Amino acid sequence: MDGVELQILWSNLIGIVSEQARALQRIAFSPIVREAGDLANGLFDEQARMVAQAVTGTPGHINSLAAAARNLLDSYDVDTLKPGDVLITNDPWMSAGHFFDITVLSPIFRGKRIIGYAGSTIHHADIGGYGIGSGARDIHEEGLWIPTMKLYDAGKPNETLFQIIRRNVRTPDALMGDLGAQVSSGIIASDRLNALCDRYGLDDIAALSDEIIARSETATREAIRKLPGGTYHGESQFDVPGGQVITLKTAVTIDADKGEIEVDFEGSSGPSNMGINVVPAYTHAYATFAVRSSLNPDLPNNAGSLAPIRLKLPDQCVVNAKYPSPVNARHVVGMYVPFPILKALAQVIPDRVVAEGSGAVWTIQIQGKDRDGKPFTSSMFNYSGGMGARAAKPGISAVCYPTGVSAVPVEVLEAAYPIAFTCKELEHGTGGTGKQPGGDGQRIGYRMRTGQPWLLNTIPSRLKAGPEGLLGGGDGAAGVFRINGEDVTDTRKREMQPDDEVFMITPGGGGYGAA
Amino acid sequence: MTRYSLAIDIGGTFTDAVLLASDGRTFVDKTLTTHNNLLEGFFRGVDLVTGRAGIAAADVDDVVVHATTVVTNALIERKGPPVAIILTEGFRDILYIREEHRYDMYDPQIEFAEPLIPADRTFTLKERIFADGTVGTPVDRDAVLGIIAECRAKGIVSVAICLLNSYRNGANEEAVRAIFEEEAPEIYVSLSSVIAPQMREYLRASTVAINAYTVPITRPYLTALIAELKERGFRQQPLIMLSNGGVIGAERASTMPVRMIESGPAAGALVACYFSRIFGIPDLISFDMGGTTAKACMVQGHEPLVTGTFEVDRRYRFKPGSGMPITVPSIDMIEIGAGGGSIASVNDLGLLKIGPESAGSMPGPVCYGRGGTDPCVTDADLVLGILNADRFLGGDMQLNLSGAEAAYDALGETLGLSREKAAWGVFEVVCEQMAAATRTHATERGIDYRGQPMLAFGGAGPVHACMVAELTESPKVIYPPLASVLSAFGTLVTPAQIDLVRSHVATLDTLDWCGVDTVLNAMIAEGATALGEAGIREEDFTYAFSAEMRYVGQQSEVRVHLENDPRKTRDARAIKDLFEAEYHRQYGLKLDGMNIEIVNWLVTASGRQPERDTGTVPTEGTRGTESRPVHIRGEAREVPVWQRHAITEGDRITGPVIIEERETTIFVLENWVVTRHDSGSLVAEKTGEN
Repeated sequence: MDGVELQILWSNLIGIVSEQARALQRIAFSPIVREAGDLANGLFDEQARMVAQAVTGTPGHINSLAAAARNLLDSYDVDTLKPGDVLITNDPWMSAGHFFDITVLSPIFRGKRIIGYAGSTIHHADIGGYGIGSGARDIHEEGLWIPTMKLYDAGKPNETLFQIIRRNVRTPDALMGDLGAQVSSGIIASDRLNALCDRYGLDDIAALSDEIIARSETATREAIRKLPGGTYHGESQFDVPGGQVITLKTAVTIDADKGEIEVDFEGSSGPSNMGINVVPAYTHAYATFAVRSSLNPDLPNNAGSLAPIRLKLPDQCVVNAKYPSPVNARHVVGMYVPFPILKALAQVIPDRVVAEGSGAVWTIQIQGKDRDGKPFTSSMFNYSGGMGARAAKPGISAVCYPTGVSAVPVEVLEAAYPIAFTCKELEHGTGGTGKQPGGDGQRIGYRMRTGQPWLLNTIPSRLKAGPEGLLGGGDGAAGVFRINGEDVTDTRKREMQPDDEVFMITPGGGGYGAA
Repeated sequence: MTRYSLAIDIGGTFTDAVLLASDGRTFVDKTLTTHNNLLEGFFRGVDLVTGRAGIAAADVDDVVVHATTVVTNALIERKGPPVAIILTEGFRDILYIREEHRYDMYDPQIEFAEPLIPADRTFTLKERIFADGTVGTPVDRDAVLGIIAECRAKGIVSVAICLLNSYRNGANEEAVRAIFEEEAPEIYVSLSSVIAPQMREYLRASTVAINAYTVPITRPYLTALIAELKERGFRQQPLIMLSNGGVIGAERASTMPVRMIESGPAAGALVACYFSRIFGIPDLISFDMGGTTAKACMVQGHEPLVTGTFEVDRRYRFKPGSGMPITVPSIDMIEIGAGGGSIASVNDLGLLKIGPESAGSMPGPVCYGRGGTDPCVTDADLVLGILNADRFLGGDMQLNLSGAEAAYDALGETLGLSREKAAWGVFEVVCEQMAAATRTHATERGIDYRGQPMLAFGGAGPVHACMVAELTESPKVIYPPLASVLSAFGTLVTPAQIDLVRSHVATLDTLDWCGVDTVLNAMIAEGATALGEAGIREEDFTYAFSAEMRYVGQQSEVRVHLENDPRKTRDARAIKDLFEAEYHRQYGLKLDGMNIEIVNWLVTASGRQPERDTGTVPTEGTRGTESRPVHIRGEAREVPVWQRHAITEGDRITGPVIIEERETTIFVLENWVVTRHDSGSLVAEKTGEN
C-alpha cells in the first residue's frame, strides 16, 4: 500500500470514529458526557486491535478501551457472535477502572463475517452504590458490577439486564439514554465501515489495519531510537483525600536499539484502603499517554504506537489494584501517573516535557432534594488547577491535564441542579515561579438553594503540598478545601446543612527552570 | 424602465462587483482588495461595473448589497481601540478560564487565542440573577458609576456586559446599560442578553466581547459607506450580508458586527440555495474552494443548514479549539484548510499530507513564479495537465510549468513515486480530505450525504469538485455561471432576514403559554423593526418559528421547525410529535416515557425572496476539439478541452474532459457526462460504474 492510498483509507477510518463520537456526544444525557466529554470511541480490527480513535475523549478512557476490546473478546467465542449483538461490561479490570465507566462493543459484520468492532466507553451519571468518591471500603460497596455479557442478542435487548440496571441506579433515565447513545454510535460506525469497504472494493480491513499498525509502530520505535538509551528515574508525591501521601516512583528504561520504553513502578506506594486504587489498564493508559505526548504528539494513537511501551508493575502497589480493593476514585492517583515519567524523561528530552501540574481534576457530586422536595443526584462535575510549565511556554491556568475533559459551565449546572456558585475565578500567584511560570489554579465557591440537608461527595487532592517545579522552577501552591470557612481534610461523603458553603482553591502548576 | 441592483463582496484577496440589470444584462468585475481602506476598493469595483454598463450611480435604483471581511480582519489584526467587559463579581476570569479544556489531548504545546479584552479592562459588579430568572441581587448604581469613571480614565470606547444567567433574565444587564446611556452616552454598550441570549457563560461572554470589540471599527466604516453612497447619488441605504444568510440595513448591522463575521461565505451558501430552487433539487452540497480554504455547506429543502456556534481566529496550527467561539445564528459551514495554495509534504510516517500550511497568494504556488518553492495543490493541477500554463486567468497570468514539475520531482522522490503519480496523489488526497470533512460534517448533523448533488464554485472548486463528488457519492455536479464572483451575486438573491433566538426552558407538559407569548412577541417586534429598516414593506413580512428541544437531561438540542405560529395553536402535543419525528430521523431512536423540554425559541423574520437571476449567458467561442495529455490515476490520457461558452444546450460531452473559462477550469472524470442547463450552468452526471 503506498503512502497516498493508505492516507486516504486512514483518514476515512478516523472520520468514522469521529462521526461515531460526535453522534454519541450529541445524544448523550449526562453533562459529563456532553459538556465534559468524558468518553472514548475506538475502531478495532477483527483481531481486536485498536486501529483508530476519535479525536475527542480522555487518555484514561481511550487507552483503557483499547484493552477492553481485547478483554471482552477473550471472554467470548467470537465465532458465535451474530449481527445485532452488542457486548457490555463495566468490570474495572476489564475496562476503565471503575463501575461508572461502561464499555460497549459492537461487532461489525460484512456479510456473514466480522471485519472489526466499534467500541465506546463513557462515564455514566450513576451506577448505584457509594456514588462519586473514595469512601467505599471494598469494591462491592461501589455499585453495580456488570460482567461481560450481551446487551443485545441479534438485535434483541437483554431485558433481564436492562431491568437489573434500572433498579440499581439512582438516575435510570440518564443511564438508559446514554447507553442507547453508545449502541446507536456503534450502528453508525458499522454502516460507515461497510460503506468504506464498498467504496474502495475491500472485503475487510485486515490489510489496511496491518499497514496502519505496522507504520505506527515503526514510527514510534524510530522516535524512541533517537533518544539516548539508559534508565532514568522520576518520583512524584501527592496527598489524597483523607491526607494519605502517595508516592509514585518510575524507572524509565529507553532501549534505543529496539526502540522500546519500559516503565517500572517499583518503589511506589502499596495498595490503599481508600477507593483510589488503579487497575493496570488505567495505569497503562496514563503511562503511555505521558510517553507518547512527549515523543511526537502527531503520531496516531493505536495498537501499533502503544506496542513499544511496556509497563512493569509491582505485585502490591496502588497502581496495580487487586480484587476486592475499592477503585471508585482511581483517577485521583491515575492522573498523577504521567508526572514521575515526565520527570524521568526531562533528563532526556527537557524541551518536550511538562512540569508537574495540579494533576487529578477535583470531582464533585451533589445529592439531595430541591425546594419542592424533588430528589436529585447530579452527575459528576470537575474542576482543574494549573498545568505545569513547558520549556518555552508558561503552564496554562485552570485547564484539565492530563485528562482531556472539560468543565461543565456554571450556568448548565445551575439550570440542572439547585446549586448556586458564589465564585469561580483564577487564583493568581498559585502557579510556581520560574523561567516559565506554572499555570494558576482557581477559586470556586458554591452553596445549595434548598431548605433541606444535602449530600456532598468531593475528591480534592494536593491539599498539603503543591506540585513540584521542574529544573529549578518554583512549586505550585497547594489546594484549599473549606466548608463554612474551615479547612476540611476528611472528604468522605458528608451530610451538609442547607446554608453550608463550600469553598475551594485548586492547586497551581509547577514552574519550569530557575526564574 | 431598466432597474439596476449592485453587489460588492470584499474578500481576503479580491473585491468582487456584480451589477444586475432587470433586462437580463449582467456586469461583473474583480479588483484587488485595499486592506488599508476597504472603501477604496469598494468604490473602484462600483466604478468598474457601472462604467461597463455605462450608467451613473443615480441609475442604481434597486438594492446595493455588501458582504465584507471587515469584522474578521479586525479580529485577526487586533488593532482596535480599548474595550472593556463587565462581569458578575466572583466570575472575573470567564474569558481566561474558557472551558478548562485542552483541544488537543496529546500535544503539550497547545496555545489559546489571547482574550480580546485584557484583565486590566475587566470589571466586576456585585449583582446576581439565579438560574430560574429571579433577581438575587439588583444592580447598584454607584458601583456602575465607579466603573464608568474607570472606563473614562482608561479611554474605553466600547463595553461588553455579560452577567451570569442573563440569558434567562436580562434585567440587570439592562439596568447597567441604562446607567451608561445616561452618564456616558459616548461609550458603545453591548449586552450579552441581547447579542447572544443563550446558556453557557463562556460562549456568551466570548460572543459579546467580540461584538464590543468590533463595534468601534464597523460603525465608522458603515457610517462612511452610507454617507459616500448617498453623496454619489445612490438611492438606497446599503444592505449588509449577515452570517445567517440574510441581509439587513447597514445601520442596524453596525450595532451587531458579530453577526457579520461569515458575511462573504454565507453569500456563497445562499447562491447554492438559489440554484437548488432553479434546478428543483431540494438537497445539495455547496462546495466553494479558493486559495487557502475550502468551504462546504449542506443545503436541505432549498435552505442552508444553520448553526448556533462557530469559531474565529484559530491561533495554534489552525486547530479547532484554539480560536474564539461565537454563538450567533450562522450558516453552518465547514471550513477546510485545503485550497489551491495548500502545501503538500511527507510526514514522519511516510504519508502524504496537505496543508494546513498554505503558500497563500504571496509567494503562492511554485507555478505563480513569485518565489514559492513548496509544491502546492495548484502546482499538482498544472503538472497533471488539468490546468493550462498559458490560459490561467484567460492568459493574463503565465504559469511556470517547469518550476512546478521540479517541485513534484522532489516530492515524488521522497514518496518513491513518479512526478505525475505524486501529483495525482496530491489531487486525490486533497479531494479525500475535503470529502472526509464533508462526510463528518453531514453525519454530525444527522444528514445522509450520499446521493446528494454538489454545486461547485470558487477559483479551485470546479477543478476538484468531480473527484470530491466521487468520494461523497454525489451523482451530479452543477457548475453555475459567474463562478468566480458567485458570492457577490448571492447577496442579490438573498431576502432581508434576521434570526432571533431566546432561551426559555420549560418542559412540554408544564409549558406556560403566556410566558411563551411574551418571549415570541418580543422577538417578533425586534424582527419587524429590523425588516422595516431594510426597506421591506410590512405586507411582505413573514415569520417562521422553530424550537430547540431535547429529552430532559440531555445537553444537546434538536431543532424542530413548527409549521404554525405556536402562539395561535398552543398545541404542545403537536410539538412533541414533531420533535419525536425529527429525533428519530437524526438518531434512529425514540425514547418513550421521557419528559421533553423546549430550551430555545427561534423566530426568523424575513422579507420576500428577491426575484433576480444571473442574466443571460451568451454562447460564444469556437466549438473546438482541442485536446491535451492529462495524467489520470497514473496514466497519461489525451483529454478533450472545451471552452465553456461554446457548449450549447443539447451537447453531451463524455468525460474525461476539461472545460476552460477565464477564471477557472472544470475537470470532469471518466464515467461522467456534461450537459448545459438552460440556466447557463453546466451539469456533470455520473453514468455508470467505475
